[in-house]
Amino acid sequence: MNAWLACAALLLVAGLLPVVWGTARGPLGHRAMAQNCGTSVVCLVMLLLAQGYGRPAYTDLALVLAVLGPVGTLVFARLLADELGEAPRWARPATALAVGATALVVIASCVATGPGRAAVKVALVGVLLAAGNVIASRDLSAAHRDGGHG
Amino acid sequence: MTDALVLISLFAVAATATAAVVVRDPARQALVLSVLGLALAVLFTVLQAPDVALSQLAVGSALTPLLILLSVRKVRRRGRREEGER
Amino acid sequence: MSRRVRMWILAVGGLGFAALFAAACLRLPGFGGDSHPYGERAVRAALAHRTANVIAAVNFDQRAFDTLGEESILFAAVLGTVVLLRQTREEREVPPEPARVPLLVRRYALVLLPVAIVVGLYVVAHGQLSPGGGFQGGVVLATALHLLYIGADYHALERVRPVGVYEFGDAAGEGAYLVLGLAGFVAGSSFLANSVIGHGTFNTLASGGTVPLLNMAVGMEVACAVVVLLARFLDQAVEIEEEKGT
Repeated sequence: MNAWLACAALLLVAGLLPVVWGTARGPLGHRAMAQNCGTSVVCLVMLLLAQGYGRPAYTDLALVLAVLGPVGTLVFARLLADELGEAPRWARPATALAVGATALVVIASCVATGPGRAAVKVALVGVLLAAGNVIASRDLSAAHRDGGHG
Repeated sequence: MTDALVLISLFAVAATATAAVVVRDPARQALVLSVLGLALAVLFTVLQAPDVALSQLAVGSALTPLLILLSVRKVRRRGRREEGER
Repeated sequence: MSRRVRMWILAVGGLGFAALFAAACLRLPGFGGDSHPYGERAVRAALAHRTANVIAAVNFDQRAFDTLGEESILFAAVLGTVVLLRQTREEREVPPEPARVPLLVRRYALVLLPVAIVVGLYVVAHGQLSPGGGFQGGVVLATALHLLYIGADYHALERVRPVGVYEFGDAAGEGAYLVLGLAGFVAGSSFLANSVIGHGTFNTLASGGTVPLLNMAVGMEVACAVVVLLARFLDQAVEIEEEKGT
């Protein structure tokens, strides 16, 4: 029994299942916001798995997802701008929760890996993920206000 | 613990894949598909296949949605034009 | 062929597959056992060529010929798409209106672009050490370039993306893989044999012999192929319109 893996399992149940539920039903804007949360959940799960399995190389998965995940959400915001509709009321709390969870997991991982290049990489993943999540979330809300932008 | 992780990931993949089939609109399907990619990446990782998971993440997170949405946009534009000419 | 005949053929094929599949399943070794004949041999062969990531050794050393096939499939698929999505005589190009992108997204894309390119190059270069390699890194590189479309508009992307250069890069990547394979002959052994250059020191960037070189060739091919593919899709979705009355 490994605490990191237990946390990953817990995060999968408490995070990914609501995300699946959220993307599968409801207005388009709500679905897109749920997809944005999915990136954060899975990226953090990857960080936890890397710690749990004791394989620092698995951090690369989180790194690639932290770079490309928000880009995917921005693609949706850009090409579905006309139809997104209003952002859900839970958009702000969900984003805050995602950023908080990111900070928690990244700090715990950094402490566990100790100072060094591996910790810098984990911190970079955290910064990219948090910034990407906030910006994608705000763009999804703004896309509705501005109407379609190209 | 490892078995529990595999079971949870398998369930998430099955649920998302079913949702991707049940949802009928292509734009909404693209959203579910991108979450399906995330679930698959977790499954591959817990089965200790990180190379495959990385391929899935690289292709599934931005490239596939972009290709699908561009195709949807092209088809819809053609539909609008034909409606306008009638 | 009538519906009934098709159903019969489907039933015969399905039953045959089911019988063979069941027979194969019965002969499978037990799940999760201690004996992994293929795995042990693959790990031994990977370590002999000083490749830390055994998957990379399988893909680019032991079964490099299979990867050549996969690379050629992507090459042919992109070629086919380019032919299908070309601008026909009945279509004309309409320059798209400039897009209004929120300042925040614009800045984010500008900052993320170099980061994403470095991540892509990192994934390509570390294929022999950690998860990743030419395909994954190539896709990241190609996606990074399209941050210009997300952060600005199609016009900005078109200015830094001469499609002809990327088409050349696509072909050059495919050719480089073949040349590296032929170099195996020159070195005195077989096609794609990992004996052209020294195997280097284990777990360093310059380890694995030809594995990192093949990864670079694949990375270049995939990055250019995805850029060319997306260029055709973007042209069709954003610029090209059919002439009236067709």
